Amino acid sequence: MKIALSICRYLFVFLIILLSLGPFLWVLMASFKTNSEILSNSLSWPASLRVSNYIKAFEIAPLSRFYANSVIVGVFGTFLNLLILGMSAYVLARFQFRGKKLLMVVLSLSLLIPGTAMLQPLYLTVNTLGLYDRLIGLIIVYAGFGLPVSLYILSSYFLTIPKEIEESAYLDGAGFIRTFFKIILPISKPGFSTAAVLQFLLCWNEFQFVMILTSGNQNRTLPLALYYFKSQFASDYGVMFAATMVVIVPSILVYILLQRQVISGLAAGAVKG
Amino acid sequence: MVNHKGYIVLFLLPTIILFALVYAVSMVILFGTSFTEWSTGLKPVFVGFSNYTRMLFEDTSFKEGFWNTALWVLLQSTLHVLIGVVFAVILNMREFYWKFARTVFMFPNIISGAAVGMLFLCMLNPDFGVVNSFIRLFGNSDYAQNWFMDYATAFLSVTMTWLPYAAVVTILILAEIAAIPDSLFESARIDGASEIKINLFIIIPMLRNIIGTCVILAGTSMLQKMDIIMMTTGGGPGNTTMNLPMYIYKTAFMDNDFGYSNSIGVFLICFGIVFVLLIRYLFRIGSQ
Repeated sequence: MKIALSICRYLFVFLIILLSLGPFLWVLMASFKTNSEILSNSLSWPASLRVSNYIKAFEIAPLSRFYANSVIVGVFGTFLNLLILGMSAYVLARFQFRGKKLLMVVLSLSLLIPGTAMLQPLYLTVNTLGLYDRLIGLIIVYAGFGLPVSLYILSSYFLTIPKEIEESAYLDGAGFIRTFFKIILPISKPGFSTAAVLQFLLCWNEFQFVMILTSGNQNRTLPLALYYFKSQFASDYGVMFAATMVVIVPSILVYILLQRQVISGLAAGAVKG
Repeated sequence: MVNHKGYIVLFLLPTIILFALVYAVSMVILFGTSFTEWSTGLKPVFVGFSNYTRMLFEDTSFKEGFWNTALWVLLQSTLHVLIGVVFAVILNMREFYWKFARTVFMFPNIISGAAVGMLFLCMLNPDFGVVNSFIRLFGNSDYAQNWFMDYATAFLSVTMTWLPYAAVVTILILAEIAAIPDSLFESARIDGASEIKINLFIIIPMLRNIIGTCVILAGTSMLQKMDIIMMTTGGGPGNTTMNLPMYIYKTAFMDNDFGYSNSIGVFLICFGIVFVLLIRYLFRIGSQ
């Protein structure tokens, strides 16, 4: 009985690891193969570690353009989100004022709206503001999407900071803004880094809104590259695999390097739901 | 304390503007135009509830999209959560592989949905996909199942792109188990309870709240799944993998039927709210 249970357990763990890592490793392997290698035997090892597929992927699709866009949207989308929500989370965590409860309820309504329900309305808003097919439009929309999670993570962090710290700053004659930026922000780094990782991944991975809010290749991000060049790559499978890896690897690197932040962020962000 | 009123307003204002721009304005447009007939370049014309009656009583594509979405919500909030909970309980035994397994399990959740779609598109490719190659290895050398394009297998194939990947559930459950006081386990062990009994009768009941939260997160995530479907089947063949998000996209951006699309958006939001309330009630979330 005990042995049977152990076997079941290991089988389950093995299956989970296989399903999680298998697709990734297989595509990584195939990205070094030639077309004929892939078609003749897709289970074999690549003959050599040739990078020509990767070079070709960057030639066929403007991947470097998409890459640059993804980095810009990721960095500024995260920065804008943290700046705006850091400010409001601080005020909501620290001060009592009329309408605070109402404001918090209204802001948390954003959790109940599935993004896809807003496809056409946001398209209209972005268009009307003249932000269609511009990176700044994406940056603002993504900063908004991260609103509930960042607000929650940051305000819970601010609540752990003792009030005395600011009070002594005020006694020393520092103003409100100076206290926030020079004293509160530096000691809130752990909270900000947690929120930042989740927000960055949101910006990096988002697909449906970049699809409807941009046109042409000028302002698109990496997830869209896979969609639009699916057919271009289709004649050359090795290149398709290489392009897929190019999109996947940064997310995995961010995750492995900042695993602690991702995990604590998910745990903190979810408790709200 | 010093009066900070002006600064409070100043610090809240950007968030309020952001909220208004992204959510509030969208909701006004969504609800308002769901009662209109509206297309590109035209002014919306008020038509009362006709979009809703068309949606609920006439449109078979909507019906198919709704049932697929509902089935995916059901699968995700049961099987998916179950996989995550079982895996968390196993990892909690802290055997040699647990950290590695926890990290690796997260990979499919951390990469872009478009990339997950691409991975599965490659793996399930009829000619060179690893799944068919593997099946050919064991006999049937002509096996060429087109998983995503076959009516019989498309729904299952799409489901497999998200059903097993319950790493978020696992992480939340692990965090919650770590918060259970050790004294509880110790007294159970002293009383002679086996590991299985400890898991079944002590750990799992204490996780009611967090499992409810996971059910909500997993279920509602199915109300926004579009990227993977877009990459793999596009809702086809026929409407076998059509869900409500895909249908909203299709009616708005391919048929230019904005008013109708927005009435489906309203329906989607209501669906989500009913689901959340139902699960909160079933799991008595919030009460002890």
